[in-house]
Amino acid sequence: MTNQKPGKDNFTRNLVIAVVVGVVLIMLVPTLLSKKTDTSAKVPASVSADRGYGIVFNEELKGVPVLDIYEDFQCPVCAQFEKLQGDYIESLITAKKATVVYHTLSFLGPESVNAANAAACSADEGKFLQYHRALYANQPQENTGVWSTDVLGVLGQAAGIMSKKFTSCVNDMAYQGWVNNVATAGAKANVNSTPTVFINGKEIDRNSEYFSADKFKAAVERG
Amino acid sequence: MKKYLPWIGLISRLVLGGVLLAAGLLKYQHLDKSQMAVRAYELLPIPFANFMGIVLPFLEIAVGILLIIGAGVRVAALVSGVLMVAFIFGISWAWARGLSIDCGCFGGGGQVEPGTANYLPELLRDGGLALLGIYLFFYPQSKFGLDRHTSNGDQNND
Repeated sequence: MTNQKPGKDNFTRNLVIAVVVGVVLIMLVPTLLSKKTDTSAKVPASVSADRGYGIVFNEELKGVPVLDIYEDFQCPVCAQFEKLQGDYIESLITAKKATVVYHTLSFLGPESVNAANAAACSADEGKFLQYHRALYANQPQENTGVWSTDVLGVLGQAAGIMSKKFTSCVNDMAYQGWVNNVATAGAKANVNSTPTVFINGKEIDRNSEYFSADKFKAAVERG
Repeated sequence: MKKYLPWIGLISRLVLGGVLLAAGLLKYQHLDKSQMAVRAYELLPIPFANFMGIVLPFLEIAVGILLIIGAGVRVAALVSGVLMVAFIFGISWAWARGLSIDCGCFGGGGQVEPGTANYLPELLRDGGLALLGIYLFFYPQSKFGLDRHTSNGDQNND
């Protein structure tokens, strides 16, 4: 039964194998290349390539804690985190008590990419924090089609953004390359869930410090 | 018994190939998450983990398709067997080290709430799939495949 006889059957079989392997390789190579950092990608206001392409507040301060916040606008736990710690983090920014870097990851799907792009557009308007807040306040179920670029453009009004430039920036996905760079930098920084918070480069304790207002504050002040 | 072997081979091929194809396609939808899943095992250096997070879904899809259509079954079975043993090793490692991660087997992955990780069913499933791979490596003859010995078998029996 297992006797191999030369014949045309082997040709078909080898051809099929070659086609399957070939097609998969042809798809794999561009995917691998697309995960490289594109240094020519357009970058929104207040972004620092040295800080993993994050959107930075109070970059100029010295001797204050540095908070790196990795989040995905579609992640429900990020919305809970924002609800509990958002005001405190914003107060750190306005009182100039910390440098805060927002890394808008997009691993939950295409609508996360839309939202991260829109957030970058809001940074150009100087309304990132307001838009950040508006996104979480209006967070839909993941990838249900709610966060189209149209909706995200209109949502700008909730953050006090009225400009046409913002709407076209959101619709044109002007910062798609930057969104990809943020994701690549997050992968290099070994961020394996959202939200992830680093204070001075060290992750805070996942068991206790994320969802306790007191403990989070203590972690920031400890530096 | 000999008569049934090709049917057992066919079922093994479809189960193992189907699972791999499904797992690969689900990961392919969210490659960032797939990279995250590999990193979360804390087993590979970060750049290599990120590379594997992208390559793995493609490998699973290719091997899954080859098993389902029954072309190059021995090699495909060997590759899937090696993959399953690697997965078993990875999950055991995560369990032994007390990591709280999603295995990322069918998409998903990354850290989860401490205490919610459930490794035993995953190990049993991958163990079963590894056995199918080993079986197919030693007995690759099966019904309705493209490999030559399989089509001979079909002609003789039909």
